[in-house]
Amino acid sequence: MNVRGSHTMEAPRAVVFAAICDPDALLGIIPGCREIEQVGDAEYRGQISLRLPGVVGTYRTVVRLVDSDPPSYGRLEGELEGTLGTVTGHATFRLAESGGRTTIDYEGQGVVGGPLARLDARFAEGLAGSLIKQGLRNLGSRLKADPAAGTPSDRRQPTREIPA
Amino acid sequence: MTVRTYLLPRSRPEALGLLDEHGPELLVMAGGTVAMPLINEGISLPEAVMGLRLAGLGGLERAGDELRIGATATLTQLLDQDAVPMLREAARNTASWSIRNMGTVGGNLFTPPPGGDVAVALLALDARVTLASTRGERVLPLADFLTGFMSTELAADELLVEISVPIPGEPTAYLKLGRKHASTPSVVTVAARLEWRGGRVTDARIALGAVGPHPIRAREAEQLLVGTRLDADAIAAAAVAAAQGCEPFTDGIATDWYRRRMAGLFVGRALEQLTPGAAGEGR
Ligand SMILES: Cc1cc2nc3c(=O)[nH]c(=O)nc-3n(C[C@H](O)[C@H](O)[C@H](O)COP(=O)(O)OP(=O)(O)OC[C@H]3O[C@@H](n4cnc5c(N)ncnc54)[C@H](O)[C@@H]3O)c2cc1C
Repeated sequence: MNVRGSHTMEAPRAVVFAAICDPDALLGIIPGCREIEQVGDAEYRGQISLRLPGVVGTYRTVVRLVDSDPPSYGRLEGELEGTLGTVTGHATFRLAESGGRTTIDYEGQGVVGGPLARLDARFAEGLAGSLIKQGLRNLGSRLKADPAAGTPSDRRQPTREIPA
Repeated sequence: MTVRTYLLPRSRPEALGLLDEHGPELLVMAGGTVAMPLINEGISLPEAVMGLRLAGLGGLERAGDELRIGATATLTQLLDQDAVPMLREAARNTASWSIRNMGTVGGNLFTPPPGGDVAVALLALDARVTLASTRGERVLPLADFLTGFMSTELAADELLVEISVPIPGEPTAYLKLGRKHASTPSVVTVAARLEWRGGRVTDARIALGAVGPHPIRAREAEQLLVGTRLDADAIAAAAVAAAQGCEPFTDGIATDWYRRRMAGLFVGRALEQLTPGAAGEGR
């Protein structure tokens, strides 16, 4: 299975990169993500519940950021395992900034096992592609709504309360 | 098979309550013609299933200049109405009698390509979908509802409850190319609708099926038609734009190359049916 694509969002790349590495932000970005925790320096474990047409299931996932050059490049490796089958794969992404907007180019390969593998390859690829696009749209709208969302929480500016 | 619980709500509030209570692991089933084969083949392994058959979402009625279609109205019900000829034509071109008796109009919007033959017509008709949850209701254009391969705007706690279709005042065209005459997966499906004033096209809708991750609008082709008299040059330009703009795929039915070629050809044919004086469907 191969996926590749590109997505542009209204935020500087340092903010986008930080959001990609922040479990709190990821929880709101990854479609169906129910929980996610950082278990190592650059390792995340999570649970994803998805209701797709005709198919439901819960998936456990482990993702590691195995190589990175913040804020422009990262390489991920990971596994997804659930009732529908397993996906083991890796992906690279590059962030380019221009005029305060960031374009992410991503490319990944995966090996599909289990029931999912019995479907046409188009299904796993189509699904992976649309979940990634959905996730990047979520990230884009989150960063647009709250530009500090990608900044790690301990470095956030305290927000001032407006007295009523 | 893994299904332990089968829920059969008797009303829409009951269905929405159960959906909220069980969360995203509850499989929603309307006619089951997409979901059941996946379960029987062991690809989908739900523990709990909610059938919508008795939830009161199956009406189909004309209300003023709109056709209101309950999400679980069957494809056979669509075949039996005459308010919108394009939808009858779309239903006639979808699956077989036995599948149409079970399969629903709502379910067709969730069917991955090359399915979605009714969704293609609904897209050209500017249909709107009503989504409901225990939080309330929202209505959005079908064009915004379809977001990707097997993915839509539907939130985890929402049900699709109704599809409303403005009844078109002008003739429409619907063509599906398959490898057989009936009950056949689509190579390409085309639905077209034009609005006219003073012999010129004022607005155009061209929707395509089986040549993208979901039924799509050929927006560039639509634009090219506005202001023209739908002469041969305008049709040819729109056909080229539709073929270039689509994202066909290869499967057991056709290659991406062939689908793109046929998309152009069938957009041209559909538009020819709509040229003034032609004897198209719905005239
Ligand atoms: C032999 C065969 C031939 C076919 N030929 C064609 C064809 O030519 N053209 C074509 O377009 N399709 C075809 N289909 C596909 C299918 O029959 C139709 O798309 C049908 O309209 C699907 O509706 P359904 O109610 O049976 O879907 P279901 O299987 O009940 O639903 C599938 C999924 O959609 C979601 N869903 C459905 N309704 C709702 C709702 N109201 N709210 C929230 N979620 C919902 C659920 O996630 C559900 O699991 C064919 C199928 C078969 C088996």
